Amino acid sequence: MPNETLHTVHSYEQELEHLRLLVNKMGGLAERQVAQAIIAVVDHDEAAALDAPEMDPQVDELERETEALVIRLLALRAPMAGDLREVVAALKISGDLERIGDCAASIARRAMRSELLSCPISVTGLRSMGRLVQDNLRRTIDAMDQRDPELARIVWQSDTAVDELYTAMFRELVTYMMEDPRNIGPCTHLLFIAKNLERIGDHATNISERVYYAVTGHILPIVRPRGGTFD
Amino acid sequence: MNKIIMDDSMVGNTAVSALAISNLDFWYGTNHALKNISLDFPLRQVTGMIGPSGCGKSTLLRVLNRMYDLYPGQRATGQVLFDGRNILSPGVDVNVLRSRIGMVFQKPTPFPMSIYDNIAFGVHLHERISRADLDQRVESVLRRVALWNEVKDRLNTSAAALSGGQQQRLCIARTIATRPEVILLDEPTSALDPISTARIEELLDELKQEFSIAIVTHNLQQAARCADRVAFFYMGELVEVDTADRMFTAPQAKRTQDYITGRFG
Repeated sequence: MPNETLHTVHSYEQELEHLRLLVNKMGGLAERQVAQAIIAVVDHDEAAALDAPEMDPQVDELERETEALVIRLLALRAPMAGDLREVVAALKISGDLERIGDCAASIARRAMRSELLSCPISVTGLRSMGRLVQDNLRRTIDAMDQRDPELARIVWQSDTAVDELYTAMFRELVTYMMEDPRNIGPCTHLLFIAKNLERIGDHATNISERVYYAVTGHILPIVRPRGGTFD
Repeated sequence: MNKIIMDDSMVGNTAVSALAISNLDFWYGTNHALKNISLDFPLRQVTGMIGPSGCGKSTLLRVLNRMYDLYPGQRATGQVLFDGRNILSPGVDVNVLRSRIGMVFQKPTPFPMSIYDNIAFGVHLHERISRADLDQRVESVLRRVALWNEVKDRLNTSAAALSGGQQQRLCIARTIATRPEVILLDEPTSALDPISTARIEELLDELKQEFSIAIVTHNLQQAARCADRVAFFYMGELVEVDTADRMFTAPQAKRTQDYITGRFG
C-alpha cells in the first residue's frame, strides 16, 4: 500500500483494510473463474465448464459490497491523497474484475457446445492465449495485492502479446471458415472465446493502470502499446 | 499543472505575485518559529495554508502585516516583497501596510459600536471621505459580503446583536472597506455553523476576482474547496506547496501525505 504509517483513527484503517480484503477476494475468484474457463475449453472439462458461471453471483455480490463500502468511505471519511486514490481505484478495479468474471463465464458456457466438442480444429492457439492471459491476470492481481507499481507497469505493457495472438487467431479462424462453410459454426464459437480472452486481457490492463495510479499518483499514458490490428 | 509548479521558482516576481516571501525566518524570543520560508502568493488567487497546530502558519500571517511588531522579542529576517518593497524593512509605515493587507481573525471581532460605524471607523482612519461617499461605501461593501439585505434597516444598531456568521461577514466587509490588495484570513470559519461557513466560502470565491487571499485553516476540506494553491507547514518549515488539486490527490512529500490522510500521532 502507498503508506505504511497507520491512521490515527483505527476504525478508518479497519474500513480501508476491509476494502482491500473485498477486492482481493474478488481478484482471487475472478482468477479462478478464468482458470476454470480455460480448462473447460482446452480440455473439454465439464466440471470446470460448470464451475466458472457458478462463481458469478459471488463475484457480483462482492462488487456490490465493494461499491457500498466505497460510497460509505467517501461520504463519511472524505479520504484524501493516497487513500482517495486507493478508494476510487478499488471501485474501478471491482468493476473490471466483475467483467472478467462475466467473460470467463461466457467462455465456459461455450466450451461444452457440441459443435466445438466434435470440431477438428485444434485449440492450441487458444491454449497459449489462455496461458498468457492467465499469467497477466495473475501478475496484475499480485501487483494489486503487493502495491507494486513496477510490476503493474510491466503487466500493462505485456498485454501487447495477447493482442497479437488474438489477431493471429482471428486470421486463422477466418481462413478455416472460408475453406469450408461447415467450419463457420465452431469457428464462430472459437472466435468469441478468443475475443473474451482478449477482453480479459484488456480488463487486466485497466486494473494495472489503476494500481499504478493508486500507488504512485501518476497516470500511465492513455495510449498503451498495442499488438493486433484487428478489433 | 507543471506550469503552476514552476511558478514556485519565480520568487520575487511581483508581476504575478501579490506577495513574495523569500528566505524568511521568524523568532519568538529564542523559539525559531519559521525556518527559511520561500513562498509566493499569486495575484487574485486563494492560497491556503495548512498544517498541525504550532506549525507556523498563523505566525506567517502575522508576519505578512507586521502584527508581530506589537510584541517585543519577536523578530523576522528575510524578505517579503509587496508592491516592490520589502515589508520587513524598518521604513515601512505599518498603518498603511495594514490597510493594504487586511486581516480577518478566527473569532469575529466586531467593534463595540453600530454596524455602520464598524465599517466607517477604518475608512475614516485612512481617508478623508464625504458622508455621501461613506454611505455608498458602507452599502457597497455590505452588498459585497451579502449582508446588506439582512442589516440595511438596522445599520445604527449594535454589531454585537448580529449572529456569529453575520459578524464574521461584517468583519470581512470592514476589511475590504479600506480597499486592501491582500486579505489574510486566520481560520475565519472555525467558530461558525456549516451554513455560515458555506456563505463565507462563497464570498471568498467572489472576492478573489479582486483581492489576493491567504487563508489559514484546520479544515482540510475547506482548503480543498476554497484554495487555488495550498501550502503545507510542519514545525516551522514549508514542506510542500502545490495546486489544491495535486495536494489533495497526489502530494509529493510523505509528511504531507501523512498529515492530510490523518496519519499523525
